[in-house]
Amino acid sequence: MTEASETYTFTFMREVSGLLHAADGNPFPMCVQCGTCSGSCPVAAYMDYTPRQIIAMVNAGLKDQVMESNTFWYCASCYQCTVRCPQGISITELMYALQRYSIWKNKYKEGLIGPSFSEAFAKMIVRTGRTFEPILAPSYIFSFKLGEFFREIQNATELMIKGRLPLLPAQIKRLDNFKRMVRRIIPMGGVE
Amino acid sequence: MEKIGVYVCHCGTNIAGTVDVQEVAEWAAARLKHRGVVVGREYKFMCSSLGQELIEKDIKELGLTRVVVAACSPHLHENTFRTACKRAGLNPYLCELVSIREQVSWVHTDKDMATAKAMAVVSGGVERVLHHEALEPLKVSIHPDTLVVGGGIAGIQAALEIADAGYKVYLVEREPSIGGHMAQFDKTFPTLDCAACILTPKMVQAGTHPNIELLTWSEVEKVDGYVGNFSVTIRKKSRYVKTDLCTGCGICWEKCPKKVVDDVFEAGMGTRKAIYTPFAQAVPRYPVIDRANCTYYIKGTCKACEKFCPTSAIDFNQEDEIITVNVGNIVLATGYETFDAHRMAQYGYGRLPNVLTSIEFERMCNASGPTNGEILLRDGKSKPKAVGIVHCVGSRDKNYNEYCSVICCMQGLKFAHLVHERTGAEVYNFYIDMRTPFKGYEEFYQRVLEEGTHFIRGKVAEINDAPRTPEEQGKLIAQVEDTLVGVQMRIPLDMVILSVALEPRHDAKETAKRFGLSCSADGWFIEKHPKLDPVATMTEGILIAGCVQGPKDIPASVAQGAAAAARALGKIHAKEIALEPVRASVIEEKCSGCRICNGLCPFNAISFHEERMVTEINAALCQGCGTCVAACPAGAITGTGFSNEQIFAQIEGLLLLNVGEEPVPA
Repeated sequence: MTEASETYTFTFMREVSGLLHAADGNPFPMCVQCGTCSGSCPVAAYMDYTPRQIIAMVNAGLKDQVMESNTFWYCASCYQCTVRCPQGISITELMYALQRYSIWKNKYKEGLIGPSFSEAFAKMIVRTGRTFEPILAPSYIFSFKLGEFFREIQNATELMIKGRLPLLPAQIKRLDNFKRMVRRIIPMGGVE
Repeated sequence: MEKIGVYVCHCGTNIAGTVDVQEVAEWAAARLKHRGVVVGREYKFMCSSLGQELIEKDIKELGLTRVVVAACSPHLHENTFRTACKRAGLNPYLCELVSIREQVSWVHTDKDMATAKAMAVVSGGVERVLHHEALEPLKVSIHPDTLVVGGGIAGIQAALEIADAGYKVYLVEREPSIGGHMAQFDKTFPTLDCAACILTPKMVQAGTHPNIELLTWSEVEKVDGYVGNFSVTIRKKSRYVKTDLCTGCGICWEKCPKKVVDDVFEAGMGTRKAIYTPFAQAVPRYPVIDRANCTYYIKGTCKACEKFCPTSAIDFNQEDEIITVNVGNIVLATGYETFDAHRMAQYGYGRLPNVLTSIEFERMCNASGPTNGEILLRDGKSKPKAVGIVHCVGSRDKNYNEYCSVICCMQGLKFAHLVHERTGAEVYNFYIDMRTPFKGYEEFYQRVLEEGTHFIRGKVAEINDAPRTPEEQGKLIAQVEDTLVGVQMRIPLDMVILSVALEPRHDAKETAKRFGLSCSADGWFIEKHPKLDPVATMTEGILIAGCVQGPKDIPASVAQGAAAAARALGKIHAKEIALEPVRASVIEEKCSGCRICNGLCPFNAISFHEERMVTEINAALCQGCGTCVAACPAGAITGTGFSNEQIFAQIEGLLLLNVGEEPVPA
């Protein structure tokens, strides 16, 4: 909380809107704050702010508070909010847009797995066109606590024994084309 | 040589703010002089009486033979300026109104460009007016009888107003009794009057009025004719009861062994017999036999009703009767239907027994309803301890209906009050916005607040019966974000009432076509002007009242019914009506008889003359829309006031082909 009262600035709202210009659905400033999204959200209880509040905060330009929140990193991508939204806003896409924005501006809440995972994931995809769990997992696994770390290793071993985890990394054909495509469609903030 | 006067309106700053009106007037006087313009003037408000006098004075003093007014859309002031011309002795159809407001000043920002466009528009008007002909309006007589379609409160009100004024009314109703949705309700907001107590006197009045002919259990099949002279074909569905013998004693439906779930009046909450009147105070009192469910029609035996009828009024062989009535005006008050709550699966309607729609709850509250007015759970015994009322079910939702259903907020408050009064249960109103305008509504909201109803601002995300805690065991759970707190809540409830949206009748589109009207994309009928002409339609002689035009509550429906009646009475009193002479006509020599235009006419004005093999247009039905003129491949149809010469001349004027290289000295 700041001491002086806030005033509205719309730069943040416009920047985020820009990230959604190609997305389905109506522009999120059309939100009427009915709360259907947050009522439907299976992880709302774990979020700092509900998705509805995040929309209001983006509209009000409260950038620092939004970037400091865990809301969009906790989105489970179930799309329930998007399906039910009476204003036809694609809230899930907004959550993704905020994740991208957060990485782009390199501002996010401390202690979250989401940002480092997303970054590692995106980098891997851009590099090879495919995910490869044995590399992907260790790249963010150190953010876990010790107990979780061992549990993850145990899981991975079991998966590998059952043949559910590949031993060798796969690569897609014509990777150069793919990389060029990705460069054109995704703003590459923070990702090479 | 014609003498043309050009008058440019400032419309305050509406036009003058974007268009240099003085320059336009001077330009017209100078550069269009060789086309006959003798005077160009501008004035702050041409539509004011001083502005009109300006035109009248010029007609008299300068001997103007044509007038061009550059102002707003003809929709608004064409009539004003035509009448001004008429007063000065000029045929009103020699006046042309061109729009430099809607089509110029309101849609442009660059003043120079807008001024240039205004000049072009004026020039087009000047060229066009040169081709105008002096026309006389078409006069048709008005039949004094009126048809009212729909016997809900709006239709009853319209019928009574006209009948009380001394004119005959045919009141057609699809169901066996008049009364409409209002007859289903128990109380009415905001005064909590008993719906039946205030409605049934009006029903009785309509039923016994010497000027009202009730045609219940009937439907309009066909509408021919035009304003003042409609000929309407009505199907009187067979009741299988001779109404001249029936006394409405009720022995037949007491003795009838077949019980049927009543999906219409009781909204599925109660039963009726196969021979029935929908409710005790039905008007008329005669029952109908529901042929689809009657044992006699299914199995060939029974006839219990016939055996017990003391006046031998039952007639199993009765057939539908088709009648034709002639009327001068038609009032459509066909009302609404409610949103099918099954469509929003997240609310569990149909799956969870104690999730009710608002209409079902209305029946439950009604003293003559299935529970005699007791608010009970589906087990028929226990009273709810917590009731949730969900607003905006199917309205204000782009997935279903975008519009607001108007009545739900007040209805939710009414329900809250009734639940409090009759059960003492905790009541939760889940709303997005509380909308309580109009007289006494906000006060009612305050009263319900005082009673201790909980208001939770948030649209309910889902209703389920999957408990997570012991308190939720055996309850319905409303999952919702309390948006004023910003926390997701799970609220255990015993009963949930869904305030379902009002929707147009499922057959609204066919009805609109039958009567020559248009529907909005939502399906509500379109009024002539959303603010200034809410009960008239674009089809002369056809009026709309009540929810057929859009969702509204009882006071508004009654007001519209009365307004429509006033409109009809005005026409009846005038005895004849002057129709715009702007009509399409067929040049018979050019007509190939291809019939392409026949099906296109939105007003059913075109018919085909089989013997002469040419198309004919009924001048009284034609509204001059021009669809057929544009469609005719042979160019055989011409519109008065919209002839090819006029249109081409206007285009040439717009392109400034008429302006000479050198300005003609003033």
